[in-house]
Amino acid sequence: MVGEVQTGLLQNSGEIPDSLSTELLALVRGERVRVFRRPIAYAVSPDRLTGVDCHLASASGARVRGVGTVLSRASVTGGRLVQGSSQVRVTRGTSNRRLAWSHYMARPGVVEVVGKARAADLAGGFTLDAPPAESLDLGAVSARFVDVVQSSARLDRRAPFRMARTRFRWTAEPGEPDVRLQLRGDNVRTLRLTLPDPFAPGVAELCEDLALHDWLLTALIEIVRRARPGSVARPEAAARLAPAIDHILHLWMPAARVQDSLLHVWESLEHRPGFTRQWQSLVNRVRDHVTVALLTVAGGDGRSGD
Amino acid sequence: MLIFAISDKGGTGRSVTSGNIVYRRSLQGNDVCYVDFDFGSPTVGAIFSISEAERGTRRGGTHRYLQGEVAEPHRIDIWAESDREGLRVKPPGAGQLVLYPGDEGGGEFPTLTEELLRQCVRLFSRLDEEFDLVMVDLSAGRSFAAHLALAATARLPGVHSRWLVFHRWTRQHIIAAAGLVNGERGLLDVGAEHGHDPAELADRVRFVRTAVLEQDSAELAGLRPTQLAWLNDCDRELRELSARHKVGRTRMLGKVPLDPVLQWREQLISDEDVLASQIANAGTVAAFDDLAKKVVDDNAWEGL
Repeated sequence: MVGEVQTGLLQNSGEIPDSLSTELLALVRGERVRVFRRPIAYAVSPDRLTGVDCHLASASGARVRGVGTVLSRASVTGGRLVQGSSQVRVTRGTSNRRLAWSHYMARPGVVEVVGKARAADLAGGFTLDAPPAESLDLGAVSARFVDVVQSSARLDRRAPFRMARTRFRWTAEPGEPDVRLQLRGDNVRTLRLTLPDPFAPGVAELCEDLALHDWLLTALIEIVRRARPGSVARPEAAARLAPAIDHILHLWMPAARVQDSLLHVWESLEHRPGFTRQWQSLVNRVRDHVTVALLTVAGGDGRSGD
Repeated sequence: MLIFAISDKGGTGRSVTSGNIVYRRSLQGNDVCYVDFDFGSPTVGAIFSISEAERGTRRGGTHRYLQGEVAEPHRIDIWAESDREGLRVKPPGAGQLVLYPGDEGGGEFPTLTEELLRQCVRLFSRLDEEFDLVMVDLSAGRSFAAHLALAATARLPGVHSRWLVFHRWTRQHIIAAAGLVNGERGLLDVGAEHGHDPAELADRVRFVRTAVLEQDSAELAGLRPTQLAWLNDCDRELRELSARHKVGRTRMLGKVPLDPVLQWREQLISDEDVLASQIANAGTVAAFDDLAKKVVDDNAWEGL
């Protein structure tokens, strides 16, 4: 299994209500947008298929052709974050040539390799820093889904701060449980999972959840960096930290929709690199800084009032 | 916010000035990017000292992105990849400084197709999502790039966009700059065709004077009084001319003094060039700094 999730800040001044999320995500006529309210508002579009016939990146550089369909969906979390997620299950084809499209349409989200390939070679290729041009680019497919939501005329485009999207590429292979997360340049993250059952339906949801929290952490680090607490005047830094408090701190909800059988992946990432630990330390820093800034202001007012 | 840099004639210093504006803006703490839409001659890599993209990139730049040949245009982080040592250290508090170069060999587009327009809207929308300021450098004259930008911004009503018209402080350049905006098939005409309200669009256009010789500048110190008086007369005439053509002070965002460094080396001017090597004038950097502030300052853009 391979996939890529793009995560970004919804281009709107404030949180959007569930009803608007539902409208933005109605990408397939006649199919329902699913909405969840606990433990955090989450709306997800129906799945859509994109037909592909292209090369698959491989670590060895071997030319491998794949034909099939990419399964994608868009989602909105907390009325604030948008995600585009695409995945394919790469399988060995039954034939050495391309079959009729009806064959592939009957296997949604499956890309069949035409010819020979090794699973590990393909997984390595997919998590390369710069996959070769013209190979299957799930990120481009996911980005289109994010674009569709962001370009809606119902959004006011006055986002409280600017933030780059993150690109979270993942692969899941069969084997002894193992998790490897790497942060790369240009906001790319790669996650290589080995699981007893990599084709379980919850794997994509797990990766979407991880991508969402990785974005939150990345954004908070960036907001704190821009605010430069300790280097600029307190009220100024506090004002720059405020958007974090208003818009993202409450969105941290690890493993909100992760299946029990996959919780161990989250737990292992909590152990190292320690997502929540870093998040909590940043949150404390933001809150403490704002509190001190407020006390300073209040203290000053108190004296002048006396 | 999207800022479009245009000029009627070549040689106005449009690219080097707009490049310096984004550089100053990033030093002021904003995340900024510079997008090369000068498809015919993509040379903006040189301004940022990126030898790999001196005449455009080979790794899929803006031109190939718009044609749908690459999923993402090639992106260069100036703070990490510039060949100039002085630029490779990101000062504390500075924002991102990213270049989206054109393609080596470039070339223009035959026609404005729906697919091309959609791709452009997608690009502007994505960049606006990530950057505080997006500077798009358009080719000189009534170009295809300007057409495309007007059509795309008409489809992005929620995204702030502004236009900077660069011109030199000469008779020909003033008339040409005015024509580029107000003339037949000018910016406002074409904008209206694509659904912009001409009055509203006019409010989002400001002029930047380049290579301006100030009366009190050191360059004029050696001149005879008669020469100075003559220059003074010329300057007054130009001021009157510009006011008649609606290119006067009220529509001017700022001016950049004549600086030999800008003429000979079309590059970013760093503080080091002023303080350490002293090859550039402090006034030039101050002018860029001022422009970088005004370009995002709503007071400087109030309706006239």
